[in-house]
Amino acid sequence: MDVQQQIRDTVTKNPVVLFMKGTAQFPQCGFSARVVQILKACGVEEMVTVNVLADEAVRQGIKDYANWPTIPQLYVKGEFVGGCDITTEMYQSGELQQLLEPIVSAR
Amino acid sequence: MLDPKQIETWIAHGMNCDHLQVEGDGQHFQAIIVSVEFEGLSRVRRQQRVNAVLKDHFDSGILHALSMQTLTPVEWQAQRG
Repeated sequence: MDVQQQIRDTVTKNPVVLFMKGTAQFPQCGFSARVVQILKACGVEEMVTVNVLADEAVRQGIKDYANWPTIPQLYVKGEFVGGCDITTEMYQSGELQQLLEPIVSAR
Repeated sequence: MLDPKQIETWIAHGMNCDHLQVEGDGQHFQAIIVSVEFEGLSRVRRQQRVNAVLKDHFDSGILHALSMQTLTPVEWQAQRG
């Protein structure tokens, strides 16, 4: 399977997916760590994280997938939400909680 | 070491900005970009617009972390109060 298809599968089969540097437990970049914290603060307990440092093809591929040059990248229900700035802004305005509410309450 | 002024020049050459300010320590940068081009665009689309302008520099690896606030002139006025 090519890497674009692999990414598409990952983001469409899982409600919350974060492409990040490191893991949720051990983030290796401050921006990635911040998004993990925000998701937890929104009540998201099950998120799929993909460590781009562990796979060079995914690290390049995800930048092309969303036409977005930086990591982290957050996907909710298959849609690209944004990187660290946008996620932070949406959390501060309450939009992110709204977006995640159906997923959090469905558990 | 990348100079924030260099990033300002790259952005200013690629798009029409009403106000532009980039600060940073040579590794991580923060930009405030005010442009009429952002009107009617979502946050993602706005940032993609700027990313497209800077694509070559992201691809080359010289630029890897740029936080940005992307505002329309009206939003910028409102934010300044």
